[in-house]
Amino acid sequence: MIKPSNKVKVFFKNIGHWFKSLIFKVDDKDPKLLVLYRKGATKSVVSSLISIFVGILLGGVILFILAIASGGDISLKAAWEGFRLIFVGVFNTGRDLNGNLTFGFNSTNIGNVLFRATPLILTGLSVAVAFKTGLFNIGAPGQYLMGTAATFIVALSIPTTIVPAWIVWILAFIAGFLAGALWGIIPGIFKAVLNVHEVITCIMTNWIAANIVTSMFDNNKGVFKHLLDPSPTKNLAYLFKTTENGVATSKMGLDVIFPNSQVNGGIIIAILIAIVVYIILNKTTFGYELKACGSNRHAAKYAGINEKRSIILSMAIAGGLAGMSAALYYLSGNTEFYWSTYQSLPANGFNGIPIALLAYNNPVGVIFSGIFMSYLNVAGLQLKNLTPFNEYITDIIIASIVYLSAFSLAFKEILSSKIFRKKSKDLSQEQPQEILVKPKIIAEEEEK
Amino acid sequence: MENYIIEMRNITKKFPGVIANDNITLKLKQGEIHALLGENGAGKSTLMSVLFGLYRPDAGEIYKHGEKVDIKGPNDANNLGIGMVHQHYKLVDIFSVLDNIILGAETTKYGFLQKKEAREKVIALSEKYKLHVDVDAIIEEITVGMQQRVEILKMLYRDNEILIFDEPTAVLTPQEIEELMETMHGFKKEGKSILFITHKLNEIMTVADRCTVLRKGKCIDTVDIKDTSIEELSEMMVGRKVNFIVEKKPQKIGRTILNVEKLTVASKNHKNNAVKNISFDVKSGEIVCLAGIEGNGQTEFVNALTGLEKITAGKIELNQTDITHMSIRKRSKVGMSHIPEDRHKFGLILDFRLDQNLVLQRYWEPNFQKYGFINDQAVRTYADNLIDKYDVRSGEGAITVVRSMSGGNQQKAIIAREIDRNPDLLVAFQPTRGLDVGAIEYIHKQLVSQRDSGKAVLLISLELDEVMNVSDRILVMYEGEIVGEFDPKKVTIQEIGLYMAGAKKDRREKTDD
Repeated sequence: MIKPSNKVKVFFKNIGHWFKSLIFKVDDKDPKLLVLYRKGATKSVVSSLISIFVGILLGGVILFILAIASGGDISLKAAWEGFRLIFVGVFNTGRDLNGNLTFGFNSTNIGNVLFRATPLILTGLSVAVAFKTGLFNIGAPGQYLMGTAATFIVALSIPTTIVPAWIVWILAFIAGFLAGALWGIIPGIFKAVLNVHEVITCIMTNWIAANIVTSMFDNNKGVFKHLLDPSPTKNLAYLFKTTENGVATSKMGLDVIFPNSQVNGGIIIAILIAIVVYIILNKTTFGYELKACGSNRHAAKYAGINEKRSIILSMAIAGGLAGMSAALYYLSGNTEFYWSTYQSLPANGFNGIPIALLAYNNPVGVIFSGIFMSYLNVAGLQLKNLTPFNEYITDIIIASIVYLSAFSLAFKEILSSKIFRKKSKDLSQEQPQEILVKPKIIAEEEEK
Repeated sequence: MENYIIEMRNITKKFPGVIANDNITLKLKQGEIHALLGENGAGKSTLMSVLFGLYRPDAGEIYKHGEKVDIKGPNDANNLGIGMVHQHYKLVDIFSVLDNIILGAETTKYGFLQKKEAREKVIALSEKYKLHVDVDAIIEEITVGMQQRVEILKMLYRDNEILIFDEPTAVLTPQEIEELMETMHGFKKEGKSILFITHKLNEIMTVADRCTVLRKGKCIDTVDIKDTSIEELSEMMVGRKVNFIVEKKPQKIGRTILNVEKLTVASKNHKNNAVKNISFDVKSGEIVCLAGIEGNGQTEFVNALTGLEKITAGKIELNQTDITHMSIRKRSKVGMSHIPEDRHKFGLILDFRLDQNLVLQRYWEPNFQKYGFINDQAVRTYADNLIDKYDVRSGEGAITVVRSMSGGNQQKAIIAREIDRNPDLLVAFQPTRGLDVGAIEYIHKQLVSQRDSGKAVLLISLELDEVMNVSDRILVMYEGEIVGEFDPKKVTIQEIGLYMAGAKKDRREKTDD
């Protein structure tokens, strides 16, 4: 029988052994950290982080240049504050009595980050799914708009006095999904049947969607103008919020964790959808087919995969995801919708592209890059509220990060080559170390 | 001390999971043709890429005329007089021959191109070395042979004196190969030094002075050709004795497996039909070989047979089932396997892992999926089995990304996948293209064992040696028609060559049996 004290000893020895195996060569296996580092995925993450870091640094440099160029209007102190806000603005809690920035847990900001991340994650997924099948879904804004329209129409038209609000919510969500999917399927069919490039059809469908939605909710002749909010405080053609009909996404307890923020259960739904998409892409025959078509459509055809079906379905799913993005954003109940073609296309749609790129089209990675993008948004608002700068600096940062993420492949290569060059040099030194380590283990085993 | 123009000393180059070059020393004499022999993945191309500056070695030094040089890129190599004809030509398809030759070495005056001088120089060079090219032709419109001559002229135009040829004969017709050998002899007389990468032994015997053999990244030996033999070289290359004669059991012909009737396929490139009204059958227990020069309708025929392309007229029956209009997957269910001509385009998804590629046509079978979810464990076990059984080598086993594998092992993976499906008909299109003798021997054995176990094999090959060695029956295809049918035991290579070139033609009536 082993005494309890011995058990504890063995336990700690095992832990010690595990930590040692992280850094040193044990049992002829390479150090675990090195193995982890060598994995392609790790390199992708690290190179994305480098892009992010350099992008933020660039934003900071711009702040200082602006401060200097302003000729004294903006102090260098303000620039330094702005720089800190970009990094950790979400944790800012205002200024203290002396006018210095204070930091801590800011439930409003963090909650809002999660709230704004919800649609971004889904449009990011939309672009990523299409990318995996070798398609560039630049049509996410149009799919998003169609999803918005369908969601509002269903959420505001079915009276909650007759149908329970949660059923209306589900119907509105499904309507958003279907409208987006329909709008995605159109470029898919054109691509599969007529071999028309999806980028062209996507641009077309984007503007068709923009005009359809404008015409539907026109306050003069629109078919759905009865859904517009007539209150005199709204001088433009704003739609009612979905809360007008008592339809809103459940908070799922998040309002307790992040009080005074807009957060709701949408973020949880978005994360669940991302995980489902990940499973579909990586664990199912359907995902295998989609990726095969994306990687090499000739080989997919040779293997008997129906590539046309895969292209159409992939675009339908991509569109559906963009539609769900809109549904979750507007069903939150605290967002207003006003649309006119004179505006540009919705940013939530286009932002899916950098989010997917930054995450290397990995659905789980999209969760993080989506949250990061909305984090930058909120930091931008802090910048506007607390410093003489405006929030557009964060757009510059996003732009440079996207630009750099195109270089992330180069970063990846640098990372690989460095470690290999180092390895070949270290080989001579590593060898004796291994011998030194080995007797120790043998000794330990003998102790047992 | 001998006069070495180039010395590569103790070159080592590593890639993730493999040591491509392990302490290799190669010495090139002034004015010699030096062959570099090795199997696929032995490190020949890597070594030459190091010399040409495409890769930096991890260790080792390069000397020219005894002086140490540092080659950082192709430009440095070019300045040192080193030129290279790559296996896959580096030409701009839509440029003219002349533009391609001067590209990167243009003479200009006040920023304007001086094409006239360049043109004269190119024409002079092409006449001097009998490298006939049409300087104004567009690259995509000329033959592969002429494209190669353009690549050679590119080196000459830059006054290179060390010429590297990376597998130059792989895509050439027998006549073109002969011309190339003569050209190489001409260069030698001029005092130029040639490095010649190949795995074709008889070419080395005809043209080379010395030969360095690489195996698995290591230098085995450098030998004088006049003191060696094909058998010795192949043994050095593969590491064991190679059997050049394919051993076959006596033939046992059975029922008809494949029946093609009056098949016609339209061409994508021109108005005429690519395949014209051809009829033949393949029975179990025989290897039927469709021989012919490239571009005589073989590709279109195989595409139609395997379902990649639609047919214009005719009928295909497999196992007494009409498969003329069946989808690719249904054909494969009826019992057809296909080793495609272009393994990168059709045969493999290069960015997928090896195990994912090995189930390319079977991932949907109940063994590998349940309710649409792929059973990774089953796939992995199956892949490990195939890897073991067919000796597919790769850096990390089943989880290797196929792109990182050598060409020979990629082809082995395809063959493992196709044969393991236990097809009644195996369609093999150029299965040994670009492979070394060891791999060729292996693939021929696999084809013959299919035949011996009572399956039907349809082999489409451009290599006459292969046609003569492996097949039980030869059909010659010329301009989309079958112009002759032969028994390999009763016909000579020369005779078949005449049919392949269209000089002779039989009137063939399909006989009922």
